Parts: sequence; C-alpha cells; structure tokens
Amino acid sequence: MKRILISSIIVLAAISISFGQTEVKESPGSKIISNITAGNIQLTIPEVGRDVERAVLDNGLILYLYEDHRIPLLNLSAVIRCGSIFDPPEKDGLSGIVGTVMRNGGAKTISGDSLNIIMEYIGGSLETGISSERGSASLSVLPKDIDLGLSLFADLIRNPLFPQDKIDLAKSDIKNNIKRRNDSPGNVVGRHFSNMIYGDHPFGRALEWASVKGITQQDLIDYHRKFFNPNNIMIGISGDFNKAEMVEKIKKYLGDWPKSDTPIPAYPEVEVEYHPGVYEIWKDINQAFLRIGHLGIKRDNPDRYAVQLLNFILGGSFTSRLTLKVRADEGLAYHVGSSFPTGSRDYSAFSVDCQTKGATAYKATRLITDEIEKIRKDGVSESELKDAGDATINSLAFNFDTAHKIVMNLLSLEYDGYPADYYKGYFDFYRKVTRDDIKRVAQKYLQPDKLTYIVVGKSETYEKPLDEFGKVTNIQLTEPVTE
Amino acid sequence: MPKSLPFLLLTILLIFALTVLGQTGEIKMDVKKHTLSNGMRILALENHSAPVFSSIIQFNTGAVDERPGITGISHLLEHMLFKGTKTIGTDNYQAEIPIMAKIDSLAHLLRSEQVKLQNPFNPQDSTLMKSLRQQIADAQAEQKKYIITEELWDTYVNNGGTGLNASTGNDRTEYHVSLPKNRLELWAFLESDRLANIVFREFYSERDVVMEERRLGENEPRRKLDEALSATVFWASSYKWPVVGWMSDIQTITREDVEAYFKSHYSPANAVAVIVGDVDANEVFKTCEKYFASVPSQPPPPSVVTRDAPQQGERRVEIEHESNPIAFVAWNTPQIGDPDLPALEVAANILSNGRTSRFYKNIKEKKLGTASASVDDGRYPMTFNCTITPYGDHTVGELETAIYSEIDRLKTEKVTEWELQKVCNQVDASFVRSLDSNMGLCFRLAGSESVTGNWHQFVDYQDAIKKVTADDVMRVVNKYLVKKNRSVAYIVKTESKKTQAPAGKES
Repeated sequence: MKRILISSIIVLAAISISFGQTEVKESPGSKIISNITAGNIQLTIPEVGRDVERAVLDNGLILYLYEDHRIPLLNLSAVIRCGSIFDPPEKDGLSGIVGTVMRNGGAKTISGDSLNIIMEYIGGSLETGISSERGSASLSVLPKDIDLGLSLFADLIRNPLFPQDKIDLAKSDIKNNIKRRNDSPGNVVGRHFSNMIYGDHPFGRALEWASVKGITQQDLIDYHRKFFNPNNIMIGISGDFNKAEMVEKIKKYLGDWPKSDTPIPAYPEVEVEYHPGVYEIWKDINQAFLRIGHLGIKRDNPDRYAVQLLNFILGGSFTSRLTLKVRADEGLAYHVGSSFPTGSRDYSAFSVDCQTKGATAYKATRLITDEIEKIRKDGVSESELKDAGDATINSLAFNFDTAHKIVMNLLSLEYDGYPADYYKGYFDFYRKVTRDDIKRVAQKYLQPDKLTYIVVGKSETYEKPLDEFGKVTNIQLTEPVTE
Repeated sequence: MPKSLPFLLLTILLIFALTVLGQTGEIKMDVKKHTLSNGMRILALENHSAPVFSSIIQFNTGAVDERPGITGISHLLEHMLFKGTKTIGTDNYQAEIPIMAKIDSLAHLLRSEQVKLQNPFNPQDSTLMKSLRQQIADAQAEQKKYIITEELWDTYVNNGGTGLNASTGNDRTEYHVSLPKNRLELWAFLESDRLANIVFREFYSERDVVMEERRLGENEPRRKLDEALSATVFWASSYKWPVVGWMSDIQTITREDVEAYFKSHYSPANAVAVIVGDVDANEVFKTCEKYFASVPSQPPPPSVVTRDAPQQGERRVEIEHESNPIAFVAWNTPQIGDPDLPALEVAANILSNGRTSRFYKNIKEKKLGTASASVDDGRYPMTFNCTITPYGDHTVGELETAIYSEIDRLKTEKVTEWELQKVCNQVDASFVRSLDSNMGLCFRLAGSESVTGNWHQFVDYQDAIKKVTADDVMRVVNKYLVKKNRSVAYIVKTESKKTQAPAGKES
C-alpha cells in the first residue's frame, strides 16, 4: 500500500507540471526509456529556395526541382487541377476514363502500344490518372533515358489521342468493377456511407454503367482541352539531374505549349446536411461491417490541428481509446478506428469503422458511441494530448525521407493553397493545442445525434436490434445494372 | 496519327540493350553483417539521405512450422509480442503472476469443456462454459489494474515511430518500424526486452481479436478462395493450412501453447535484425551487443520434413459464395534455391507483367477478363500461381482455356530475345528503385538472410533471372506447368440466401 501511495504523490506533483491524469501507471521500463530518449529528434525541414527550386515558365507552368545524386534515377510527377468532382452526373466516370486512356491510348508521335513497348523495355514507368480532385502524370526513368522519357511524357499530356479501342477497354474495366461492387462487404459499406453523407454531390455518387456507357471520345477530347493547360499544371522533379539543365529541358518540351484563358469551373459545393439513423444492408456474411459518421470540416478551418489530435486520441491510432476499448479490452474486433480528414478543400467526413461478429454488433456499436460521448463530455488528459502531439511532430521526418517526397510535399503546399513556409509553424500548430481546445472541438465537431450508421451483415444475428441508435431503414442490395 | 516508326523504335531499343546493364551493375550494396554470441545476426546498411532509419527483426518461423491443433499459433504469437514484458506494459508484474496462473487453470477447464462439446456422446452443459468464460473475464479485469495497455506501441509512436507493424507468413514472422535517427537505442531496448522478458498477458481477449481477423477473411472472396486452394494443392505439406489458422484451433489454443511455441521458435539463432538508414554500422553492432547479446541462446527449431508426393492428376475445388466468379490455379514447384525457379520467374513475368505481357495482350485487351501469374518461393516446395477474373458474361472456364493456351505456347515456341531482355532491364531498374526505400531494403535483406542464411541471395537471384535463356523457359514450363500437376479453385456465385429480404430503399 505504501508504495502505491508514494507513487500517487509523485503523480499528484506531476499533474500541475505536465500530467493531467489522476491515475498514471508507470512501468519499470519507462525510466529506461526516458533515459535513452532524452535527445531531441532533429529535423531540418526542406525549404523552397534553399533545398528545392521553384521555377515558373512563361506559359504559367510551375516547376519544383530537387537534385539528389545518390540514386541514378529521375522521378517526375505532374499535378493537374481537375477531377471527377467536375464530372457532370450524366457523364460520371469521365475523369477516370480520361486518366486511363491518356496513357493507354498514346499521343501524336507514339501509339499507346509503342509506348508500352518502350517504357517496359527500358524499365521505366509513365502513368496518368485522375482522382476526385487531382489529375496526375508521372515519369520514372534511369538518367540515360531522361530525354526520351520527357519527350514521351510531354507528348502524352499535350497531345493524347484517346483512340476508341482504348476507351472501350477502359469502359470494360469499369463495367467489371461495377458488376463486382457487392462482392466485398468493405466496398458495400464504403459506397453506402459516402452516398448517405454526400447524397447527389460527386463525393456521394456511386459510379453507374448508365453514365459510363454514354461517354464519347469527344467528351475526352473536350476534357483534355479544358483542364490540361500549362497554367493549370505543376510539376515536381527529383533525382539525378542538374537543375538548370532540367529547367531548359522542360522548356524545350513544354515551353511552347500555349496557356489557356478558360477558367477552372466552380467546384460543386457540399451541402451541409445530416442523415441520422441506422441503415441496415443485409448480406450473407458472419460479421457486421459498421461505418458510423457525419460531415466533418474543411481544411481552412483553424481548428484543424485540434481536430487531428482529437481524432488521434479517439480512434486515429493503435493506442487510441476506441482501439484500446473495443479491440484490446473487449476483443470484439480486429480493426476499429476513426478517421477525421482535415485536409479537404470542402467538408470531409468523420467516420468510425469496425467489423465484429454478428453476436456483438450491438455491443461494439454501443462502445463506440459511448467513447464519442465520453470524449465530448470529459475531454482528454494532459498525457493523452502530449502523446498525440509528440507522435505527430516526431514523425514529421517521414514526410521528407525520400527525394521525391521532399519535392512533392512542398509542391502540394502550393497546390492546396497553403503558404510556402507552412512547415515553419508546424510544431507550434500542435504544441499550442490545449485540453480545452480538444474538448471544445469534440463538442463542436462530433455530433452524436447526427450520426449515420451504415451496417452491412445479417441483422438477424445481432444480439440486440440497433434501433437504439436511430430509426432503422433497410437498404436492399440489388444486382448492379451493366447492360 | 501515330508516327511511331518501327525503325526508330528498333534503333532506340538496341541502344538501351547496350547500356542498361552496364549502368546498374555498378551499384554495390555495402551491407555489413555481425553475429552475436547467441547466434543472432545483425545486418546494417547506411543510407544518409534523411535523418531516419528503418528496422526489421525477422524470425525464420511461420505457419509452416505448426501442426494440426495449433494452426495459427505463429500469427497469434506475433499479436502477443505487443502485449508487453516484465518491464513494459505493467506497473506490477509480480502481482500479475498469480492472476495469470488462475486464468490458465480456468482456461484449461474451458478447453476440456470445448473439446467435450465436440463429441455428441457427451452430455451438453453450456452453463459451465458460460460460467468459466465469466470467471476468465473477471480475472482478466483484475489483472487489468496492473496493465499499461499497448505501452510498447505508444512508446514507439510518441518517438516518431512510423509504419510500425508486424506480419506472419507461411515461412517467416517479422516486426518492423521506422524511427528518427537518434532512436536506435530505444529500438534495441524495446526489441531485446520483448525477446528476453516477454509476458503473455491479455491472451484470451487477443485470441478473440484474432478470431475476428479470421472472420474478416471468411467474408472476403479472395481470402476464402486462397484457403481452399492451399488445402487442395497440399495434402501433406504444412502449407495446406492458412496462416491465420483454422477457427477450431484458434478457439482452443492456450496461453501455455503460445509460450512453449515462443521458446522453441524465437531462438536468437533463428532471428535476423536489419537496420537501414542514417546510422553508423559500427554503432548499430555496438548497440545490438549491448542489448541483444544477453538474450539466452537456444537450439533453433527443427526443420519440417513432411513433403507431398508428386501430384497424380488435376484437382478442382468449388466454393459457393455470394460473389462473382474468380479462380486461382496453382502448379507445384520446387523450393527456394532450386535452379529452375529463375526460369519460372521469367515465364511468369512474360505471361503477365505489364501491358506488353501475353495475358494483357490476349486476355485483357480482348476484354475476356484479367489474369496474372506469379511464383511463390518458400523454404519448402510451393507453387506457380495464376489468378483469373472473368469480365461480363465470360466464364472461369473460358479464361482457364485462355491462360492454358498461353502456357502451352510457351511449351512449343521459344520466348523472344526481346522479352528476355525486357525482363533483365526491368530487374535492373526495379533494383535501382528499391534503393530509395529503407524499409523496402530491410524486407529484402531480412528475407534473404533469414530464409537462406545469405543476405546477398536476392541479388544472386536477380542475376540468375538475367541469365535465363529461351530454352530454360521452355524446359521449366514443360516440366511444371502441366495439367497433372495443377489445382484449380473457383467461386460459383450463389444468390443471397435470405428468403425474405425486407422491403426498403433500392440501391
């Protein structure tokens, strides 16, 4: 007993300094650990102007360059402001097809098939793709192939052919994906969650064959003309080259590409709407796949750092409250965790994922909602906050551990509208967050009464109905239409 | 329209053929090796491009070392290595000892009840089991007072640890993490501590977690099919059971089983530690001497001797599942180190790697579906695999015919020199790319050293691939990829079994 008392006093003394927990357990190993981790983690954050060069061509094309001669390799990634978010509903799927066929279809001076032959023969890679808010084109070649690679890359993004046979091939892939979209429960839960949260907004739409079928070659050509312009593109280059020479090379291949005056269309905005309730989807599996959540925040929200730490503590790490409770203590799930993206231009979605056997579906859901309520009501302890901040700050080095990550992370700051010296304030963003901040953002951005529950599984196996969490609506899975 | 002149292309390609090899052949990896007195091997490779390092500790132990009754134990043990030690994860280990003893005896009673219930001649008494489960839960709650859950994980993450995880395979089990450069000693302390002072606490709740992990696989068509295929290909070999284990075994494995398995299979002589990154190799060895040398040495675990007899005819297995048809095909092939493997690797590459591959040109571009080929090489004989995904109304049968016809072509027509050169060039280029990832190198080095005792083996294997001739490919395809030697597992789609789906919104 005496020993416990002594340690309690130490703990009490510590409260006023750094710890806020009333009950801090200390292992014998923790002293050894504090001895061998005394040294600060050193990191010099790469900067534009010092480590990375930024250049702008006359046509508005922006370059970021980083030389690294340790490995004989050139990596180049172009980022194009476009994305499926701009696809009109009746042409849903267009961006994806443009991204695929741009590469597979080849360009003016080289057919797609010849491009395959060359790139695979030289062990290089040249790929294009378009996601929801970003187009990309990347090249990776050995230094001796730089000129060849650049000429092919430039031709591809400037003069893609979009031949009909490759459009048909891309469509056949999409058709197969649509046909198989109910095969894995993870797909089903994800698709229905997005749909429920975002409704008809592009973020919520499930890709359907009806829209894909009608996409024409002219649609692809128009898309390319609209978005693929030098003043809408940024290129990051890293590796074994000389910066000044590289800028000249880029000028040679892309410098005469005229800029465009067509502005990027307005982004369709996410409507702030909530769809509380339990949506059950019956599928013949032996677990309940749960995703629970609601709309989150935008990246311009000054609370984003507090929200990141909140999520880390709630369910964003392996030592988070949700994992400790649902997994480690109760053994109810292999995976349970939360996600609260804070880097989205528009509203992200907060969500909790969990898969548990049918007989514990209710219990797991209850534990999850209890943890959400608890963190709103009581906030977090000082040590939880410190751990979350340490983990975030001390792992920053891994954002810059390869040459290409260095150049692309700095480029992305500009693409996403952050200041170039963003990382200078990085440590402070997190260090300044207080326990009060966490509690405040928990109450503001976690809204238990607005949660949407998507549950895929055999509802008759759940130990208790889930109607305690909201009105239950059944959604029936139907065979996707692919004709 | 395309102005791609065949002549120009040919000229370009000839130039490549002359230059690719010369360039990457010059890259040497300065890997340093040190063996501790207890037999543990340490590899260090310096890469000073960023102030970080990656690490792996790999044991030459996996599901293949198990036996019926304890299948899945390697994987369960991997989970248990995160549960702390006598020094980490507890504030009073002594107080935990009697509680764990109590849990063990309750678990034994529970286990004998479970076994009894499997026999229909025994009287069924589920109340006793329920009560035992409750008593175990109560004792676990009591032990909880002393436990600092996930302290090891917490410590790594708070110190900037990234990519922290572990994995278990058929042949090997590994633990990896990347850290800032001045956390080498922390790594050595935590890793040596869990080898020297491991405590198997919270075992029964973790066993439940692993059962959920198994269920996840049961709901995933590919995992389900993979399990069926292994059980079909291997009649004798221990590769026949899944790494996660059979559910009935996971349910009955005890804490002592795992403890015994740890003692017999996690000998330092059976372990390799690899550090790649911004470190000084001598410093790595010094630190490892300080922390790992005191881990007591034990004899390495025995080799597995059970082998399958040569297969006498095609085997087919059908799985009914609520998902669209796919199929896996496997042919028996020799174990790692066999001189036929590089040629099989080249065959797999020519069949399915990239958009110029034969499967891509003749299956995917014809919109029949997709198909891929790969070689699994292990400590014991494994397989050459193909996976098949039919598109639209095409059937598994049609796709099977298509891949067999491509394979048959390899038996009668030599692959082209262009195809062989392409494989060589890709091997070189991907080797260069691999140098960019500390963790990727850790995996390659640990894999080679652990399984073959020679870290350089993966480089030698690349060289062997580059020496493969068209005759070699034809010979090995004729030798191994024949009907008599293959097994096929495929999914047949069943409709949703629920007779009365509730009416509601369509989706």
